[in-house]
Amino acid sequence: MAGHSQRRWMLLIILVVFLFLYVPISVLFALSFNEGGLPTAWTGFSLKWYGALLGNSDILQAAGNTLFVALISTMAATVLGTLLAIGVEMRRRKGRFLETIIFAPMIIPDIVLAIALLSFFSLLDVTLGLHTIIVSHVVFNLAFVCAVVRARLKVFDWSIMEASADLGATTHVTLRRIMTPILFPAVLAGALLAFTLSIDEFIIAFFTAGASRESITLPMQIFAMIRFGVTPEINALSTLVLLVSLVVLTLSQFFNRQRHARP
Amino acid sequence: MNKELLSLRDVKKSFGTARAVDGISLDIMENEFFALLGASGSGKTSLLRLVGGFETADAGAIFLDGRDISHIPPNRRPINLMFQSYALFPHMSVAQNIAYGLEMEKLSRADIRRRVEEILETIRLSDLAHRKPDQLSGGQQQRVALARALVKRPRLLLLDEPLGALDKQLRSAMQMELKRIQLQFGITFIVVTHDQEEALVMADRIAILKDGKLLQCGTPHEIYEQPQSRYAAEFIGMMNFIPVRIAGNRLIAANGREIRAILPEGLTDGDAAVAAVRPERLHPNPENCANSLSGHVSALAYHGLDLQLHVTTSLSPQAIMVRLTADAMERHSFSIGDTVAFGWHAENTRVFKA
Repeated sequence: MAGHSQRRWMLLIILVVFLFLYVPISVLFALSFNEGGLPTAWTGFSLKWYGALLGNSDILQAAGNTLFVALISTMAATVLGTLLAIGVEMRRRKGRFLETIIFAPMIIPDIVLAIALLSFFSLLDVTLGLHTIIVSHVVFNLAFVCAVVRARLKVFDWSIMEASADLGATTHVTLRRIMTPILFPAVLAGALLAFTLSIDEFIIAFFTAGASRESITLPMQIFAMIRFGVTPEINALSTLVLLVSLVVLTLSQFFNRQRHARP
Repeated sequence: MNKELLSLRDVKKSFGTARAVDGISLDIMENEFFALLGASGSGKTSLLRLVGGFETADAGAIFLDGRDISHIPPNRRPINLMFQSYALFPHMSVAQNIAYGLEMEKLSRADIRRRVEEILETIRLSDLAHRKPDQLSGGQQQRVALARALVKRPRLLLLDEPLGALDKQLRSAMQMELKRIQLQFGITFIVVTHDQEEALVMADRIAILKDGKLLQCGTPHEIYEQPQSRYAAEFIGMMNFIPVRIAGNRLIAANGREIRAILPEGLTDGDAAVAAVRPERLHPNPENCANSLSGHVSALAYHGLDLQLHVTTSLSPQAIMVRLTADAMERHSFSIGDTVAFGWHAENTRVFKA
């Protein structure tokens, strides 16, 4: 039957696509536990490469930098992105131009944004370092937070803000008791998304970090190490980055869905 | 109906170039059930939002109990608004929604609990106190919105299309329910509606708005029987309009017949005008009526409590509508094509400029 064989072909294609997507990651994941450390032979399960990471001060410093950059840029982007989302959604008329401008940092190729930011910083004669990475990450994270919060605001009934005032609440009380609890899951989801994006961002950080060893982030560190071949340590490090991203991303989706389930 | 509660004095409000409220003056009495009636874009909702404090008037003043409240924000006006969308807080239970306004008044927990329970009893929703709004039907949501506003015991309750989202059956039940609640609480209600029947049934007085202006204000009886303009006559109920020409102090229809009516001021010889008569004012016995028409039946519709006929005559280019009661229906029988004659009295005929 034609329908039957068609279905089998479909399943095969899906299988191939998934293998293509996940086999490399699985190999990386498995090799990070390989005792011998060679990609060619499995010699037994071991956590020693994870132990080796802890002894590598360069990696620890880079990890510390990455966390610092991610935390600060996420906080700033969350506050600014949320305010931007509220501001845009409260406007009665929304032009195409405004929409495009807000989404632009999400769409502009990273390499273009990186070069633009670098030129901008050198034009202003700013010394490059962690602070410039943070500012650069805020630029694109802001757009992502804004997009997530706006999705929530699109289904937000603004008349409940007026209802709150009508029932005797001041603006402050309305923000605290009505808007915050309703928006919070979306803001949190946006923040977690921004955090994962910042943690593994390479290109922009690479361009805006400057020459100092002090401002190397984790992806930059991995890039530096990989020039001497893929070591088992890198496999372990990549696995950790992957796990952190997955967990945070899952949390983000969880918070976002929870609120959307209830219209 | 004793003293004025709310007074509007030449209130104006524009949005861009659109004049939403264009110089409205109005007095609303204590304990009155008042309806603002108009088509969409007539300014009725803008007027309600001005009274609620959600918009600020460009000119004019709004007084409550003689005090100018024009510049007092909504959270400090003793006025509550029931929103058209109900605007219930989705993250709070029914009881929390209702308690919210009392918490803003800084009442004690015990007082708040007692008053929330009381009002839940009144609207018969005690069983659903812990449900969230999205677990309620439309009718239940509407009652929660009403309770949330009423529990504050406002001087004035504003209701924006309160029955708009309900189905027909529930709507007529809620019309009576709203009247009962209004009497029980002794609170002045102002209802905004586009539904003329709803306004006639519920309100003590009705104001008809058109293009931001007040067209007419009066009791349902006055509005229905003595419309002051062609628009008001057309908007409320059904009306036959017969084109006429003023000749001296007489009205002449297209077929040359005179129509007897009480002539208003301001019409001069030769003017074109319309004579208006309600379908239920036409009698099947034209003998003792000042006016009469004859023609043949072009359509009929049986509605149970009445029979509606369309009669084609030489009097008017449009078919004349006639409504007959069940009694009259039994005494006469009509079918399409029959030649019929109807009459009506001069005092039931109103005349408007064309």
